[in-house]
Amino acid sequence: MQKKSSVSSLTQPGQRTAFDRFMWQFNQLLKIDAMNLVILVVVILIGWSIISESIPNPARYLPSPLAVVLSSVDMMVKGLLPSYFSDTLTRLVIGSAIGLAAGIPFGLLLGLNRTVADMFHPMMNFFQSVSGIAIFPIVVIWYGNSDMTVLVVILYTSFFPIAFNVLSGVREIPIRYVNAARTLGASRYQVMKDVLFPGAMPHIATGSRLSIGFAWRAVIAGEMLAGRQGLGWMIFTGQDTDSTAEVILGMVMIGLTWIILDHYLLRPIEADTIERWGLVQR
Amino acid sequence: MNAVSAKLVVEGLSHHYPDEYTGESVHALEDINLELYEGELVSVVGPSGCGKSTLLNILAGLLPYKVGTASVDGNIIDGPGPDRGVVFQEHAILPWRTVAKNIGHGLEIRGILKSERDRRVQEFIDLVGLTGFEDKYPHELSGGMKQRCQVARTLCSDPVVMLMDEPFAAVDAQTRITLQEELNRIAQATQKTILFITHSVDEAAFLADRCLVFSARPGQLKEIVEINIPREKRIWADMNNDPDFITARDRILKSVREEVSVAKEE
Ligand SMILES: Nc1ncnc2c1ncn2[C@@H]1O[C@H](COP(=O)(O)OP(=O)(O)OP(=O)(O)O)[C@@H](O)[C@H]1O
Ligand SMILES: [Mg+2]
Repeated sequence: MQKKSSVSSLTQPGQRTAFDRFMWQFNQLLKIDAMNLVILVVVILIGWSIISESIPNPARYLPSPLAVVLSSVDMMVKGLLPSYFSDTLTRLVIGSAIGLAAGIPFGLLLGLNRTVADMFHPMMNFFQSVSGIAIFPIVVIWYGNSDMTVLVVILYTSFFPIAFNVLSGVREIPIRYVNAARTLGASRYQVMKDVLFPGAMPHIATGSRLSIGFAWRAVIAGEMLAGRQGLGWMIFTGQDTDSTAEVILGMVMIGLTWIILDHYLLRPIEADTIERWGLVQR
Repeated sequence: MNAVSAKLVVEGLSHHYPDEYTGESVHALEDINLELYEGELVSVVGPSGCGKSTLLNILAGLLPYKVGTASVDGNIIDGPGPDRGVVFQEHAILPWRTVAKNIGHGLEIRGILKSERDRRVQEFIDLVGLTGFEDKYPHELSGGMKQRCQVARTLCSDPVVMLMDEPFAAVDAQTRITLQEELNRIAQATQKTILFITHSVDEAAFLADRCLVFSARPGQLKEIVEINIPREKRIWADMNNDPDFITARDRILKSVREEVSVAKEE
């Protein structure tokens, strides 16, 4: 990037440089992508409307897109949608923030000692593979149908993927970097801060994104099984009351929120870290 | 060189590596005794596998030992410490730190203030000839520059003894000659006490005040060759005509050759 911009600054203003051409092509690509997306969405909406029109009792089985929009307007007016949405998002933020804040240092600590790291690696792999939904029954047995249950499950699902990823990252750091720091007089804490943490940076970025993704699924599942508010609860109760439009609305909200979160926040952070770190570590 | 206080003392040091598969053990070092005096550069040569790196790792505190003692300034070695600086064979500067931050790492670890740190870092950057590369990352440096950076990092944290394990083995021949002449100049300028491990007889003879020849495994101290050439006269262009150098080198070479053939026969 730096090279390219310095090339363009060297040439006369107004002159088309290789970099300008690249940016122009890049923008064209973006436009085409956006167009494709719009077309795709429109096609899906039309197809959905047609099916909805042609089946008996669409309000129960598949309400039209318009019905879903109307239901969302209704829920907006009542203030239910914003409240459910913020409930769910708050749970995600709190749960995954605590999960990451605990998982990153935990992974680094385990990684301090090679023997301990090798010992814990399979165990951490085991726990990160037992998904959030699979641990629900046992947590419900412990805490009943409560907010606590939902929080514990989110914590669990976000903690293990990040801790496992950090541990894997630490194990990949060449031992000579650790030895170099130790011979300079570094304490265990300083080794962790100056070698293990920066050395595992790309894994921390990837692990965080994974963790938050798992946590998002866990929030929804948790609210369905043990919650009293939130998007998960909304689609679950929608089933009981035959409010199919609400169920679909909830599903769309869940998917859209994740896409926006992932595409505009998590993925750029991950890509940026890995790219910058790749340059640094090459 | 007049000072008679030994900075590094090794007495009766032996080492076995356990072998988990065969249950036998590899006898790497046998009854090593040596003393390093202040301001002295001592080189260690010996056939491959004779335990040179083992000795260095023990002295660095990275490898625990059971038989014998090793001490720096009277303190028994039982772990890594800033009194012993290490220059590793493979470059071990941290890829995510710039040259300046790598060189200042030891001072940072000790909590030296940034202003003081920057001043000392610059001093050693200039000493090893990395001026202008302060803000570069290791991947932007050549192999020789990386080793200069490692040497500067070790010097900057001002250890009592500097331990170097074949630091110039991985660079090309031309750069190696330059680095050897630079280390000679640095040794003269800083009066550091240095233990320098190498498998190159020329390098050992060129740099050392004393050269220790190790026998084939288990490594034992076989012979000590003294090289009394003033540092200011040690320039490669002159060395090949220097009778003292040639005598010392040939003696080391003969001694090492015997051991290499022993190692082969095994
Ligand atoms: N971690 C280890 N575990 C078991 N055996 C080892 C270990 N490290 C070294 N050895 C053995 O100890 C002996 C001495 O090894 P060392 O690395 O000290 O030799 P060296 O003199 O540095 O050789 P080179 O010149 O090739 O670097 C060798 O036979 C080697 O196989
Ligand atoms: Mg070695």
